[in-house]
Amino acid sequence: MNRLLSTLIATAAATAVPLTLTAAPGGKNRRRALLNPPAGPAVAPAPAPKAPTAPVADVSSAWHTWSDNQGRKIEAAFCSLQGAVCTVQTKDGQTFRLNVEMLVPADKAFAAAYAAKLNENRFKDAYVKQAAFQIDHLIGTTLVAKGQKFNAPASDEQFVRRIYLDTVGRVPTAGEAAAFLKEPAADKRAKLIDALLNSPGYTMHMYNWLADTFRVKDEFGKGAKAYLFQDWLKDQLAADRPWDALVKEMLTADGKLCENGAAGFLLRDAQMPLDGVSNMLTTFLGANVACAQCHDHPLAQWTQRDFYQMAAFFGATDGYDQAAYGRARKLGKNGAAGLTKQQVQGIAGVNIFRLADTGKQDLSYPKDYKYDDVKPGSTVAPHLISWSATDTKLPAYQINTTNPTQLRDEFARWMTNPDNPRFATNIANRTWKKVFGLAVQEPVSDLDALDKASNPQLLEHLTTIMKAAKFDLRQFQRVLFNSQTYQRTASLTPDLEKGPYLFPGPLLRRMTAEQTWDSILILASGPEVDNALLRRGDEMQLFSLPGNAMTAENFKTVIQRAKDAGVEMGGYGGGKKGGGPNPKKLMAAYEGTKPQQRHGLLLARASELPQPAPESHFLRLFGQSDRLVADSNTTDGSVPQALMMMNGPIGQLISDPNSAALVAAAAGKSRDEQIDSLYLSFFARKPTISERSTAVKSLENGLAVSDVAWTLLNSREFLFVQ
Amino acid sequence: MNFNLLRDPQDRRTFVERCARAAFGLSIVPFFTGAATAAERGAGFGKAKRIIMIHLDGGLSHIDSFDPKEGASKGPGTPVSTKAGYQITSFLPETAKIADKITVIRSMSAKVGVHENARYLMRTGFEKRGTIVHPTLGAWGQHYLGASSKTLPSSVCVNQNSAHGNGFFPATYSPLPILDPDGGLANSKTTVPEEKAAKRQQLLAELDSSFSKRVPDENVRAYNDFYDTTMQLMKSSDLAAFDLTAEKAELRESYGRNKFGQGCLLARRLVENGVRFVEVHSGGWDMHKELEDGMEDRGGEFDRAFAALVSDLDSRGLLDSTLVAVTTEFGRKPNFEGNGRGHHPLAFSTVLAGGGAKRGFVYGSSDAKGYKAQDNPTTPGDFHATIAWAAGMPIEKEVVAPSGRPFTVGNKGKPAMGVFA
Repeated sequence: MNRLLSTLIATAAATAVPLTLTAAPGGKNRRRALLNPPAGPAVAPAPAPKAPTAPVADVSSAWHTWSDNQGRKIEAAFCSLQGAVCTVQTKDGQTFRLNVEMLVPADKAFAAAYAAKLNENRFKDAYVKQAAFQIDHLIGTTLVAKGQKFNAPASDEQFVRRIYLDTVGRVPTAGEAAAFLKEPAADKRAKLIDALLNSPGYTMHMYNWLADTFRVKDEFGKGAKAYLFQDWLKDQLAADRPWDALVKEMLTADGKLCENGAAGFLLRDAQMPLDGVSNMLTTFLGANVACAQCHDHPLAQWTQRDFYQMAAFFGATDGYDQAAYGRARKLGKNGAAGLTKQQVQGIAGVNIFRLADTGKQDLSYPKDYKYDDVKPGSTVAPHLISWSATDTKLPAYQINTTNPTQLRDEFARWMTNPDNPRFATNIANRTWKKVFGLAVQEPVSDLDALDKASNPQLLEHLTTIMKAAKFDLRQFQRVLFNSQTYQRTASLTPDLEKGPYLFPGPLLRRMTAEQTWDSILILASGPEVDNALLRRGDEMQLFSLPGNAMTAENFKTVIQRAKDAGVEMGGYGGGKKGGGPNPKKLMAAYEGTKPQQRHGLLLARASELPQPAPESHFLRLFGQSDRLVADSNTTDGSVPQALMMMNGPIGQLISDPNSAALVAAAAGKSRDEQIDSLYLSFFARKPTISERSTAVKSLENGLAVSDVAWTLLNSREFLFVQ
Repeated sequence: MNFNLLRDPQDRRTFVERCARAAFGLSIVPFFTGAATAAERGAGFGKAKRIIMIHLDGGLSHIDSFDPKEGASKGPGTPVSTKAGYQITSFLPETAKIADKITVIRSMSAKVGVHENARYLMRTGFEKRGTIVHPTLGAWGQHYLGASSKTLPSSVCVNQNSAHGNGFFPATYSPLPILDPDGGLANSKTTVPEEKAAKRQQLLAELDSSFSKRVPDENVRAYNDFYDTTMQLMKSSDLAAFDLTAEKAELRESYGRNKFGQGCLLARRLVENGVRFVEVHSGGWDMHKELEDGMEDRGGEFDRAFAALVSDLDSRGLLDSTLVAVTTEFGRKPNFEGNGRGHHPLAFSTVLAGGGAKRGFVYGSSDAKGYKAQDNPTTPGDFHATIAWAAGMPIEKEVVAPSGRPFTVGNKGKPAMGVFA
């Protein structure tokens, strides 16, 4: 079990200083006391984590004694800074989230300086240029060979809107767009890319992307809330945890859903471990094994035996405490000692979902196994798949399968090894798809034969960059965004049946559900929405039943413990099918800024709302996945979407005079200026002469500026990313 | 993956034109003019003017519902004899009362045991592929038979998003999703005075046209179509079809006051008002554990709503021209694993009621254990072909998808002719 961030383990071990805490850990109230600002004006957004101008902090070590403006102290290591929230970790592994606005100035400066140090680009600018140039070169060569051409370079207007959406998941505000457009520096694009990759929105945007792939859900079944997993995943992204380390920790985690966030990934499929293995192999290796779960793959090389041999690495792991569930169920049924069914379910759930080593690998072949290479029903021997005859000679394959309690660790070592034949390529290919709209090799779930890639040399080069970045996805994307190829106009939807897409530029895309929602929030309430962070996992730990004993006494102890800490049982909404979130309870779980509520909408970013959003929520109508199947966000249109935009609360939110876009427009001295401001807010560009005159004419014809805002919201140009 | 990328803009355009823009609100000219050949006519052909397809997502246990077994396979429910002479389990007491109105197919058989892929197969009749998306029967119906209403959509999907229901047909064939039957069609009324709404629309049309010209992309065009059809719908009086409050409280109770029950009632209202094809989804059938609890809860909801729907349609004289099909992802294993059953596609059950199907009939069988389909094995493609036949679609006619690949409704499946009266 390991909740420590890997970068800090070494630091902690090397530090002998005893830690003293003035704020004892455990209770939520005490933790929050350090965190929440006293009543008063809203916290100003934290400055971007750049080098401080004030006192030069000594950032040679992450360890620091933090003091707040009320004289309270805590000794802990810096983990991450996101918006106004600085996450630190004490030596015993407890994490605390400090509001930087409440820290003494020197400590605030330390947080900013340390964050800047961590965010120091792993790649030197020269490497980025060279690696990006090589991408352009490899694509250019292929285009020439096929008689095709690169798209024209994107204008600054197209670039600024797209780069905001691709890095921080929302459009720029009118102010942000204007600032970039008038900036004369030649390297302004590279600078903006770096600034955006180091801002809080990056974590949110990346989280949405991974939540679709990992099928992140608030509830895993049986009333078990998986909030801790969500918090953990956000922490990893905020701290820029390398992909290999993140995946390895998820695959080797032990413990309960309410104790160890990293365990959430495997516990997602605790009730269907074979499906879990199938998802994992597809997600991390692009191994197209789903069919081999039941029979030899008809088209690919995988046999059912291959699948079972891989699944056997998880055959000595149990994720679901069946016996404990049975006992808890009885307890709830009897109504014993005044415990309600709901109380029992809510607490039992997060305890019965737990990853534990059984000590014995007991996965066996199905009784109806129909091939003659092994005996049906016999125990499976763990064995790694390989893609070519020479793979097994690679260092990654030198693993030991004799100790059942080490099977997962050995498997994870193999999977996340840089010389695993697919691990680096898979994440490079998937990240490329996120940036360009289509993978170099489609579908991303099938990398069995790498020569099927649309440009195999490009895929190989991307794999090299991924390894050079040591799986730092921020650095990897930095290279892609700096390529000429990315900075070209978008292509119209290509016909893949007629031949592979060779990337003369990125693809024209409809914004994802999350990008659409988050952009609307920015237009409605401005960029402070980037600082409202939902945090629901901390208190889950209070519900861990000692010894996993399903006794009435144990449940009562836990309920009392939570009560003492001021924690109410029950969900934050979104759990009940189709039901909306309970805004009151949700609101208490936000750190940093509290999100606003207008027109019945909670204005928090998609990553900071129930996962997934309730079925009737804007996000779901626009294609947010139900999180049942990996990678199933969609960008299709529908009549209800159009109705929502035209007549629903979204249209009202945007045409409300308090919306940030209308407030910005109101500052315009003339009708022309007001229209110009709206165009900047919605499209990051100025209107053409004819657009401006059409809009101004409508103002003379009985429409208000707010109606023009409604119109731009409902235009196709708003939804599509050029 | 983004399936939209797999369509060709050029071919797509001609394709759309060839379909005579049969999307609702655009035109109701059918592509298939009804000039069916003699070979295409036969028992049951074209009897089902309306189709309600119930999907039990997660995998209904055939042994614990429509195909009870004795011995080692027997589940917690007891087999109950119905007046139609066949048995179903005690989890379905209301369905037992209408057993003489329906046809049970006990010989469904498939090879896909993974949820997503099986759901796709049972919803489209095709196995899931990485390079194409197949349409649902609603979209096929719209293609062959034309739009079923001037203002209402031809297909509606209740309790689930449309999830690529149009397949390789234009996005305008996409079913209209209703996620909350009680809420009806959300946001269908404008919130500003009519005059202002009209001016806004005018401005929108003027300002957005330059983008559509500059960016002649098929997905942008699809969005334009959605806005057009939405405007048509908003102006229509048929909107009342979505309003369940117009139904008597007693009738609403009889369907069950839950999303599935009310969804079935909404389906009846919609088909009555001109929608041809309605999917109603019920989740939570993946009973690996606690099967008895699950059959009591989910099973109870289904039992009540399905029986109410069939009775309601019958009493209105609509059952003979409305086909109610009950389908699922796959069956569940004959042997218990703990207190539940695993996925089992080799044998499972579906139901057809009305629309020309026999009353009080069992088609096909599974073996004694419920392990394998025995008599008249029926594939998902056969099942789809059966429904398409009942709806009067040319099941042997090929449609060339924009990518140039030919497809038939039901994937060359053979209709189960024995089910037709």
